[in-house]
Amino acid sequence: MKKIISKIFVLSALVLMFSCKKDLLNQDNPNTLTVDQFWKTEGDAQKGVNAAYAMFYQNGGWNRWIYFRLDLTSDEGWSNSPWTELGDWTRFQYINYNFWEGNVNTYRDTYKAIFRCNQVLTYVPDIPFTDAKKKAEILAQAKFLRGFYYYYAAILWENFPIVTTLQKPTDLPQQSSLAQVWAQVEKDLTEASADLPEQWTGNEIGRATKGAAQALLGKALMQQHKWSDAKTAFDYLVTGAGKNYYDLVDYKDNFRAENENNKESVFEIQFSDVNKNAEGDGPSANVGSNRAQFFAPRSIGWSDGQARFWLVNEFKKEKTVDNKIDPRLRYTLFYPGLEADFGDKIYGRSWEWGADEAWFKKYSRDYMRNNEDYFNQVNNRVIRYADVLLMYAEALNELGQTADAYQYVNRVRTRANMAALATAYPTIGNDKDLFRDRLKVERSLELCGESVRWADLKRWGDLDTKVNVDKVALRDPDFKNFVVGKHIRLPLPQVEVDNNTNLSQNPNY
Amino acid sequence: MSMKKKLHFSKELKLCFILSSLFILCCQAVFAQSNVTGTVSDKSGPLVGVGVQVKGASASTTTNQNGVYTISVPNAGNAVLVFSYIGFTTQEVAVNGRSTVNASLVESASDLNEIVVVGYGTQKKKDLTGAISIVKAADVQKRQGTTVAESLQGLATGIKVRGGGQPGSEAQIQIRGLKNFGDNNPLYVIDGLVTSANRDFNPADIESIQILKDASAAAIYGSRAANGVIIITTKKGLDGPMKIEFSGKSSVQTMPRYDVAGTEEFSRLNFMAYDNAKVKRQELDLNTNTDWQDVAFRTGNVQDYNLSFSGGSKDASYFVSGGYFGNKGTVISTDFDRLSFRVNTKGTKGIFTIGENLAISSSKVNEMSGNPIIDVIRMLPTIPVYDASHPGGYGYGDESKARTFGTNPLAIANLEDRVNQNLRIRGNLFAELQLLKPLKFRSSLGYETSRDHYTYLKKDGFWTLNQAYDPAILNENRGESSTVLIENTLTFNKEFGKHSLTVIGGQSYQKDNYAMMWGTKRNILQNSTTGHYYDVLDQGNEALTGGYRNRSDLISYFGRLEYNYADKYLLNAVIRTDGVSRFGPDYKFGSFPSVSGAWRISREDFFKSSWIDDLKIRANYGTLGSSDIGAYEYMAFVNTFSAIPMGPNQNLQSGSTQVQLANRDLHWEEVTQQNYGIDAAFLNNKLSISGEYFISKTKGVLIRYPLLISTGNDGGNPFVNGGILGNRGFELTATYAESSTEFKYNVTANLTTLNNKVLGLGYNKNKTFVGNTVTEVGEPIGMWYVLQTDGLFQNLDDVKNYKNSKGKIIQPGAQPGDIRYKDNDGDGEITNKDKVVVGSPWANYELGLNIGASYKGFEFSMDWFGSFGAKVFNGPRSVMDNFSDNSNYRAGVQPWTPENPNTTVPRAFYSSTINARGDTDRWLENGSFARMKYIGISYNIPNKLLKRIGFNNAKVILSGQNLITITKYTGLDPEFSNKSVFEKGFDYGAFPNLRTVSLGLNFGF
Repeated sequence: MKKIISKIFVLSALVLMFSCKKDLLNQDNPNTLTVDQFWKTEGDAQKGVNAAYAMFYQNGGWNRWIYFRLDLTSDEGWSNSPWTELGDWTRFQYINYNFWEGNVNTYRDTYKAIFRCNQVLTYVPDIPFTDAKKKAEILAQAKFLRGFYYYYAAILWENFPIVTTLQKPTDLPQQSSLAQVWAQVEKDLTEASADLPEQWTGNEIGRATKGAAQALLGKALMQQHKWSDAKTAFDYLVTGAGKNYYDLVDYKDNFRAENENNKESVFEIQFSDVNKNAEGDGPSANVGSNRAQFFAPRSIGWSDGQARFWLVNEFKKEKTVDNKIDPRLRYTLFYPGLEADFGDKIYGRSWEWGADEAWFKKYSRDYMRNNEDYFNQVNNRVIRYADVLLMYAEALNELGQTADAYQYVNRVRTRANMAALATAYPTIGNDKDLFRDRLKVERSLELCGESVRWADLKRWGDLDTKVNVDKVALRDPDFKNFVVGKHIRLPLPQVEVDNNTNLSQNPNY
Repeated sequence: MSMKKKLHFSKELKLCFILSSLFILCCQAVFAQSNVTGTVSDKSGPLVGVGVQVKGASASTTTNQNGVYTISVPNAGNAVLVFSYIGFTTQEVAVNGRSTVNASLVESASDLNEIVVVGYGTQKKKDLTGAISIVKAADVQKRQGTTVAESLQGLATGIKVRGGGQPGSEAQIQIRGLKNFGDNNPLYVIDGLVTSANRDFNPADIESIQILKDASAAAIYGSRAANGVIIITTKKGLDGPMKIEFSGKSSVQTMPRYDVAGTEEFSRLNFMAYDNAKVKRQELDLNTNTDWQDVAFRTGNVQDYNLSFSGGSKDASYFVSGGYFGNKGTVISTDFDRLSFRVNTKGTKGIFTIGENLAISSSKVNEMSGNPIIDVIRMLPTIPVYDASHPGGYGYGDESKARTFGTNPLAIANLEDRVNQNLRIRGNLFAELQLLKPLKFRSSLGYETSRDHYTYLKKDGFWTLNQAYDPAILNENRGESSTVLIENTLTFNKEFGKHSLTVIGGQSYQKDNYAMMWGTKRNILQNSTTGHYYDVLDQGNEALTGGYRNRSDLISYFGRLEYNYADKYLLNAVIRTDGVSRFGPDYKFGSFPSVSGAWRISREDFFKSSWIDDLKIRANYGTLGSSDIGAYEYMAFVNTFSAIPMGPNQNLQSGSTQVQLANRDLHWEEVTQQNYGIDAAFLNNKLSISGEYFISKTKGVLIRYPLLISTGNDGGNPFVNGGILGNRGFELTATYAESSTEFKYNVTANLTTLNNKVLGLGYNKNKTFVGNTVTEVGEPIGMWYVLQTDGLFQNLDDVKNYKNSKGKIIQPGAQPGDIRYKDNDGDGEITNKDKVVVGSPWANYELGLNIGASYKGFEFSMDWFGSFGAKVFNGPRSVMDNFSDNSNYRAGVQPWTPENPNTTVPRAFYSSTINARGDTDRWLENGSFARMKYIGISYNIPNKLLKRIGFNNAKVILSGQNLITITKYTGLDPEFSNKSVFEKGFDYGAFPNLRTVSLGLNFGF
């Protein structure tokens, strides 16, 4: 009996021992595909480019923080946040260059988006497609998005290392000059434009079009003062083959969840409130915008950003043709007189804030609810036709074709029921400088709070000399902190400078 | 009186004995050389290898396998034989002319004979060649801790324990410094099962604890042993009738508290900060004076009851225990409950033995919401606890009256319910077959599973200013982990004369699985009458679900050879080969050998000392491995979660992309260690000293080393074998124990020094910066790297005169009362380039002191632990003293004013970083401390009394923990923990150690 037990015991132990085959050590991840298993089909390519669009929904970019850089840092906005460091980063008090919310998150998400575009541009060319046009469109969208991110990198950091290939952990990319970054933007957008469709239909509406690429290319050229090239780029939308796709619409329809992707929209970030979840790369992540939650008046939202009051005054300087207050004010700002002027409450409340305070109203849901949250579904019309028209006018003016420029400004003014420019401001005439000065005001009235002002100030040279900066500081005292030659660009994240031996910190930081 | 008499009597007896001995010696002086033989035994039989020596002569021998010796004695008349054996009291016996002299040795009080579990076998403490600490189970059990780790601080050298305190929280433990940048938690082996002694494990079941600290000791566990191994053996039944033991402990716990301002002081300082900043004052509610610490903190308690039944016969034994542990936390709405149950049995028939250890536990933690440790200082005293005007009804910050984003700790505690429950089954079944007398085969099947259930319910309402609106949300997740461990070992053990040999060979296979699924819904149904929420996933809408699973496999082969020659020369060699599924095809296997030796000098013939009882030196060298990474880290994956709304209906289209990079060539992290030790016992084993010096080097440290941002990587930095870390340290333990008198006492002091040094970093980088620290090659990890403050500007002349060598005013914007920073790079500006290394977060040395004493039925013990020389960052003070953002202030803080210039605190200034920067040396403090970890007194009720009620033993214990702390640190607790390796010295407002007073009762019958 004892022997039998022993035998069974030893035998079973041996069986156990040999059952441990080495292939037990090859365990596949049961949760998802490896990179090697992906990038095989047309569907993979489509998903790849979709993931690049998904970067719009992450904190560093158009979901949240970029508005602090573009709107609040400019003279249109400011921060009265009790979070001192967050506020400091809107008033040129950059102490810790690694401040996540002010700098690193946006820098990181820019590269994250570029990585996604680079994956598409690296892998998709090798994927066989039955329809070559579809493949070209996917590649063109990736180029558009990469150009889009480099455009904002040029605006924000300027000397931003260009990465167009998939990075290994050990790669140390070289520093790029601002001119090199612009060259990359032009290349990507030019190539994108060639293959992007003029319009998308059905469920694809919202993707980048040829017009979007031309408009963004034009904006990039404007920043470099390449007026003629910029005009050429805009021609497609204003006078060229694309002009019938674009028009101006009811002003408020540019900032609401209804009538999205309308004729005025040149490029629009699609937001939805379908996923009430945190942002990021997890399942069912938020695809809405946090902007309104952060910019809504105190006790409605975080109120980390608000509008400078000079804007209210600027709107009230000129009446409409029927002697009313500029209707654009109604949809642009929350300000003390809103209820008196237009009968609108603020998220259902009468004014309960300071008499000299104002907040940004565009993209808010005040018209439909009494609070905000992190899941705002109002699309951001990043480039709208009014912007293109005013840019076009600016390019013409710079090229000495001031008289020709009037009509485009007038289109924008007329929609707001304002008199023709020459009627309202007869002294301008064909004076290039006077025209430019007026155009600056026209742009702020039309586009205030739409994240274009920082680029405008840079393009106009308003931040290039102490004299000019002092003028800006009259509207926004934060600019008293502005050091010419330094704060025109953000510092690179210090951790990146420390870790990439090919990189130097931006000048004067 | 009677004692004196006794003493008297024994003196007389001694005198008589000496006299008669002398007489006998004289008489026999004439006898010539002769052989004396005999048997040396102890109570259990003959002793092999006992040293036999003729006193005052060179002749010596040892007993053979039957305990028999023969020695040539020059003068058998007056010769005295000295019998010495490690672990036994040395005995001298006069020959008196006899030719047969038998001796019976008695085990000495010293613990050298303690059986030490060394992994797949046991050794006697005296035979150890590696660095192993033995902690008495009683010392652990006398303390009130949720986990074993919590109770180990100060009980052994080279061990650092931090954390615990919160209900259900688990302490971090670190053995001999940081071997890598990971969590550094050691491997736990409980009754042979590789596991973790987490909160599900009841410390009351412990029989013994051994801590394997160096490579030679831990190498048998190869992979994952890099951070050391803690071997725990649970109690077994003993031969005899059933014994029933009960132990019960009831404790009261209190939090240390901040000394913060009340409304009067707060408002004065707050107005000052606003006035200085020329900001309109807040309309503070001066009629409210809330003590937020009273709101958030309370007196906690612990109830810990254990009952066990054990017994057995020659062939079988059993141990059954049940325990309940209940902890009401010191923070509101936190508690922890654990029910545990264990059955250990074993039976033998002839050459066959079978046994099992099984533990089942059910735990439930009501987790803390928010961080009340910080929130009690971020909330202003002028904020009321309740405010009916707020949704939910709680007071919190207000834009005009109280501008803070602090969280109302009561509101979040009531509005958020976080409950974490699990059921754990852990056990193993083993069988042994004594194939031949020296050959034993053992097979063990271990299984552990935990069924986890977590629920999170957020109710409708707000707890902080400007909180984004969310409806009631329920999140529920269920996870299941399991580990299967199959091990087979063959042990050969034989003694050949003076040679003793043990060889162990074995093989093991381990499979770990984890799977979880979760679901979330919003707008959870509420009963409007009672306010109750139906916290089930059937209710609500906007459902989200998810889930994943992981598996990893480990196959190992191992062997150990132990050789012992005459107790003089000890040799140990170990090898283990591990193959793990976590590494890529070419990197799965790693081999980890070690060798160690010891020389017991005191057993050498030439060694003669009347006062040294034992002297042993040890040395070893070995390699350990670590694969402490996730299951699939070497592969790059596609994230398929992106979704984009497109088209007029904004239908979601899915996206896929690579988010995280991966390093395909990940391989084993390897620690090589050298250890040199000396063990000595003096004064009849009353004094024992043990010293260790070790050097360890970890190569290919698996670390999520930061990648460049330009890689576009996200989702965490991928693991890389990046970095080389060195540790060297010295450990000394000295124990003096007097147990031969009625008043027994023992004192143990231990000293640990440890230096870590980074010898290399990932991707060939030189430095890495994390928070306020820099980690640089050639330096210790995480050195403080901050701006240096240099007092305050007292007047505008000070500001104007503060120039660099080129005459540039360094801080032109400064005002009197502002901080002066050192312009270390001399460029005339205060920038990041002025930061320098200003100190180390690491202690120079740590001391433990354990004192025990007993007299009759009373026992007293006290443990101290001290850590000296660390510089630490006081996070909470950087919140309270900064004045830039509203929080409550430290009571008695004296910001600079023209009237009060003699202070180190700069002027109060609201909403500016001028004087509030976090990256300066202003917040660094001396982190040295000495703390009485434990003090206890117990009384054993006399047997006479007990017998009457049928008890065998009964004991009452009154004890206290953390009652006295001596430190200059101004935070809540200098003994805090921070999980980030790079910021070990940063106190972000860690949960403090609690002051605990316990009353316990143990009895058995």
